[in-house]
Amino acid sequence: MIGRRGWIGLGTVMALLALWFLLTTLTGLVTGARFPSPAEFWLSLTQISGRGYAGGQLFSHALHSLKLVIMGFTVAIATGVPLGLWMGWNRKVEAAINPVFLVIRPIPPLAWIPLAILWLGLGDAAKIMVIWFSAFVPSVINTFAGVRNIDRPMIEAASMLGTPRWRMVTEVIAPAASPLIFTGLRLSLQASWTTLVAAELVGALVGVGFVLNMAQQDIYPGMILVGMVTVGILGWATTLVLSAAERRALAWNIAARD
Amino acid sequence: MNSAPLTFRETIAWGILGVVVFLGIWTLLSAFGIVPRQFLPTPLDVATRFVTLLTSPFAGATLPQHLASSFQRYAYGVLLAAIIGVPLGLLMGWFRLLDDIVTPIFDGLRFIAPIAWVPFAALWFGTGIGGPIMIIFAGAFPPCLINAYRGARFVEPRLIEAARMLGTSNTRTIMEILLPAAVPSIVAGLRVSAGLGWQSLVGAELIVAAAGVGFMMVQAQGNVQTATVMTGMVAIGIVGMLIDILLRQGESWLRRRRGLEA
Amino acid sequence: MGSILFKNVDKVFGNPAAGVKALDNINLEIADREFVAIVGPSGCGKTTCLRMVAGFEAATAGIISVSGKTVTEPGPDRAVVFQQFALFPWKTVRENIDLGLRNKNLPQAERDGLIADVLKLMNLESHANAFPHQLSGGMQQRVAIARAYVLDPDVLLMDEPFGALDAQTRVVMQEELVRLARVNPRTVLFITHAVEEAVYLADRVAVMTRRPGRIKEILDIRSIRQSENWDKHQKIEDVMDLESFVHLRTQIWKSLREEKGSQGV
Repeated sequence: MIGRRGWIGLGTVMALLALWFLLTTLTGLVTGARFPSPAEFWLSLTQISGRGYAGGQLFSHALHSLKLVIMGFTVAIATGVPLGLWMGWNRKVEAAINPVFLVIRPIPPLAWIPLAILWLGLGDAAKIMVIWFSAFVPSVINTFAGVRNIDRPMIEAASMLGTPRWRMVTEVIAPAASPLIFTGLRLSLQASWTTLVAAELVGALVGVGFVLNMAQQDIYPGMILVGMVTVGILGWATTLVLSAAERRALAWNIAARD
Repeated sequence: MNSAPLTFRETIAWGILGVVVFLGIWTLLSAFGIVPRQFLPTPLDVATRFVTLLTSPFAGATLPQHLASSFQRYAYGVLLAAIIGVPLGLLMGWFRLLDDIVTPIFDGLRFIAPIAWVPFAALWFGTGIGGPIMIIFAGAFPPCLINAYRGARFVEPRLIEAARMLGTSNTRTIMEILLPAAVPSIVAGLRVSAGLGWQSLVGAELIVAAAGVGFMMVQAQGNVQTATVMTGMVAIGIVGMLIDILLRQGESWLRRRRGLEA
Repeated sequence: MGSILFKNVDKVFGNPAAGVKALDNINLEIADREFVAIVGPSGCGKTTCLRMVAGFEAATAGIISVSGKTVTEPGPDRAVVFQQFALFPWKTVRENIDLGLRNKNLPQAERDGLIADVLKLMNLESHANAFPHQLSGGMQQRVAIARAYVLDPDVLLMDEPFGALDAQTRVVMQEELVRLARVNPRTVLFITHAVEEAVYLADRVAVMTRRPGRIKEILDIRSIRQSENWDKHQKIEDVMDLESFVHLRTQIWKSLREEKGSQGV
């Protein structure tokens, strides 16, 4: 069933497509040098899907970017979530790490890009490093907040049941903090894509950001639009996967909130 | 949690330990050449470079000059985002139809990283000041819109009903009920926007600008002047932090005035 | 089975020299299989007494021991039932009950047997695989009691366990607890602010003063319950109508009211 909202949404999208066609193709008010017409967009899409552009087909560019995001994101949460758990659990660790964090946190993730290129060049390693740095912070902060927000009786119940340390972390602390951990993961994923696209725009040899960069230099609006749409679809698809994982993992929490 | 809260003295002691270990490892790595000093200067090298750049120019300007030109673009971009985002958000919260029309567009654009607008921004507005402003706008716009929208959409219905009961006109209800009721949410959105805008600024300057701190860092990267790159990072961090502190102060002042927090 | 001993216990929150004195020279001995309830005005430190036995908080002075062992940290020999249940929402009823048994490293078959027994005892058999949020408050508290009972602890510590339940559920749970306590007596320390509940459930009731909390008097309920034969009545309202019950209740009420009066309320 499509509700009122759905119909209006559909109408809006149709109207925008019609407007796009009207402005670029029928009236020519917007020229191809500013924004591509639907036909030019289609031409660019078939070009990069078939013959390729910027050294590869769209599929291989997208796959390469996706691979880097997944790798950087994985490294970031594999380090960030445990550190957040540790900081939440142990006040001494929190006190020691907080000031360092206070200094590093205000540096925007994108500001690491020149340093990463200096250290690791234009290849994959530099990209993974900047994604790691940018996605690390949200996962640490939210995990930490998640641990600190756990109801005290929950911890006390587990300790009166004689729960040993490691089981306490895996079966009590981590699940209790998981709603906020997932909030952190969503922010981390968003940061990963932003950082990767920026890093590929600054310097890369392959990837969606590199396609955007080449299209900008070639003043090729059709291809710019293809690149942007690809970035959007990739971001949307990975968010969808993460949301599905969240719904699975937090089934108890979502039902409890209703 | 695990242990009782630390005393003030313990917190300071552990904090100092953390910073010392951090700076210690950094210094050891570079001073003993474990990482070539050209690629990882010592903390002292960076501090020295920072002081030098305050007065002597690099990439065409001194650090304060670069910062000033960055900040100018930044202010324009964020201001533009607020001027367009906040009223649009309020109207969306008030008029269901507008909400239903804008939301799908917004949802579609949401997943495109703001930085991906760089090529079009450069194409449409050039690489001087217009292009970067548009990218900052792209980063700062969503929180402005979303928070104003939420503030207006979830305003206490009884306030609206009370205004209606008193025979208040539509325009006046928006100006005198909806807007003030949404202010805390709007201000929270502006703070997030300011942070995201600052991030986008860095990205924009790395890619397209011909002046500003980001530009300075890219130039330094090309010349393998790591200390200058790090100086740029520190400067960006400090300004970002100052912006955040200032807005937090403003926000909590406002909340106190509204009696929302003690 | 076990006993609880408070000996000259003081508790000061914050700085021991300048903090708030919550408890002042508490002396109380709870015998093996005895059910003792503590009642007192809110903020008198009755919950703090329980939390110190549980090992969640340390006494500032004096000694607290359970079965002759001084308490230093929480452990499964002193099971706690919390007012807000404190079930793990991501675990099913069975998994909630199982955690303490797994911590004791019991073999699977033995755990299954114990869980089956306690589910039956608490009338939870049909909810074994439900999540806590799918159960009513009364059912959740049954699970929390089952989780404590299954460990066969030396002592059972109940911190206003029925305080979060509605009046009707509360009555059912009280009757059930009496049934449990008569069939399967345990050493219980029960904290409550409801006088009727304390008189109905306990063998002895300790009345506390307002802060700093002291034990003002201890009333023997068991001898009266036995001589007046309360247990022949099935329903709580029948017991509450008995003259002996009313008399005890009024006595405690007066004692508590003196406390409120001295506070100027």
